[in-house]
Amino acid sequence: MSTTETTGKPTLFMAEDEEDTASLLKFLLERAGYHVIHAPDGHQAQQLIDTMAPPSLVLLDIMLPHVSGLQLLPYIRKKTEWQRVPIIMLTADSSEHDIQQALAAGANDYMVKPFNPRELTARLSRFLKLAA
Amino acid sequence: MTGVVETLSQSIVDVGWLAIFTIHGLILFLLGWTLIIRRLRVSTDRRRQEMVCIWRPILAQSLIEAPDTLPSIHPRDRLLFLYLWNHLQESIKGESSDALCAVMRRTGMDHVVQYYLTKGTLRQQLLAIVTLGHLKEQAAWDRLGELAHDANAFRSLEAARALVRIDAPRAIPVLVPLISQRADWSPLKILAILQGAGNEHVAQALGEAAVNAEPLIAARLIRFLGSIRSHRALPLIRPLLVRQPLHEDVLASCLALFGQCSDPRDLPTVRQYSAHPTWFIRVQAAAALGKMGVEEDAAILIGLLNDTHWWVRYRAAEALSVLPTMTDDKLSLLVQTLPAGEERHILTPFVAKRFETSLSQNSGLSAA
Repeated sequence: MSTTETTGKPTLFMAEDEEDTASLLKFLLERAGYHVIHAPDGHQAQQLIDTMAPPSLVLLDIMLPHVSGLQLLPYIRKKTEWQRVPIIMLTADSSEHDIQQALAAGANDYMVKPFNPRELTARLSRFLKLAA
Repeated sequence: MTGVVETLSQSIVDVGWLAIFTIHGLILFLLGWTLIIRRLRVSTDRRRQEMVCIWRPILAQSLIEAPDTLPSIHPRDRLLFLYLWNHLQESIKGESSDALCAVMRRTGMDHVVQYYLTKGTLRQQLLAIVTLGHLKEQAAWDRLGELAHDANAFRSLEAARALVRIDAPRAIPVLVPLISQRADWSPLKILAILQGAGNEHVAQALGEAAVNAEPLIAARLIRFLGSIRSHRALPLIRPLLVRQPLHEDVLASCLALFGQCSDPRDLPTVRQYSAHPTWFIRVQAAAALGKMGVEEDAAILIGLLNDTHWWVRYRAAEALSVLPTMTDDKLSLLVQTLPAGEERHILTPFVAKRFETSLSQNSGLSAA
């Protein structure tokens, strides 16, 4: 069961360690109508993935403390209920190698920081429509 | 005699008491001082936290719609506001940046920043330079141009970056001579500035400067062209290879550029230099072949596995493992056919790395 059904709003699971960026993303995404669940590092993200119902979307920073976004990706994809959840990776630079690895490991898309807030929300809503 | 001893004993006791009182006094003073500093620190942190709690949502909201009213900024909070504002500027791009600039102007902080630029401390000045760059403040162009020539590398680099943010096409001709001369500028920071300026503007200016520069400077400029993968500069740079005498540093950086751009027209040149007598030219040729080579170039790289210089053998092995036409099966077969000596030994870690990458990609895909 997706958490969309329990909160009424589409749930977005976000793993981002950088406090200012996380706060900005949370603000923008909540304004765009999402219920945001935030994990500030890889460990907490892993714990939340184990306990929460699959969200409508996942926004995953590649560089996370303890467990990186690239390590979390296969972890998420191995969970049967999470396999169809769209995952968008956030990367601080346009490192082709990281992006290739992320896409090969099951990410659906990526965004490079700094990002355009309108572009981000547009991409997320596109994935939501596709998933619906 | 007894009187003298008693006086001496009394003096020693007096000195002892004095020492005890002094030590206790000092301990109390340090304790009090520590408490005062801690209290000040806690109060500063609380004030900063309050400031962040007020301004962070306002700045985030301004990305979507302009806030009706803005709170005033106390002079002691100005630097913190500028940090917050600049951090947000560097997290976003597009039209949202203009919305943040509007907030800066509405608060009047743009005037404060101008003051910091001319009369501030180094910290205030650096913050002002970065802010003016984000504000695209044309009025600060001349002053920033002067600061780009400053002896302090931090100040000059930030001024250079600000000029690029304000007007990249206008900034590049100003900056290229500086990039040529300033050995104290970090190459990574220069690269970040050049990438921010856009390849179109940079390629032509850097290429022209490289053609007319002394060999060591030309090599440095061509390395930057390689890092930004500038195809546009290739027609300017190719004629350098027919100049006599051809400096080896220039040749090495040209080969690195050819590898990064991977234009098939440069392949014969790269192959030709794989047999150059200088080892670092062969290193660059091997690395370039790994990026742009075709099937027949595997033979050249296999030959270089036997080179007298370790770095050439290492780069040739790396190039073989990433050669665009190389498959996992071909690479396995190659390792098996190589004699069990240095050639196989140097290639093995790259083969393992390639297989590890393939494995992780396949496992990721199957899990997905």
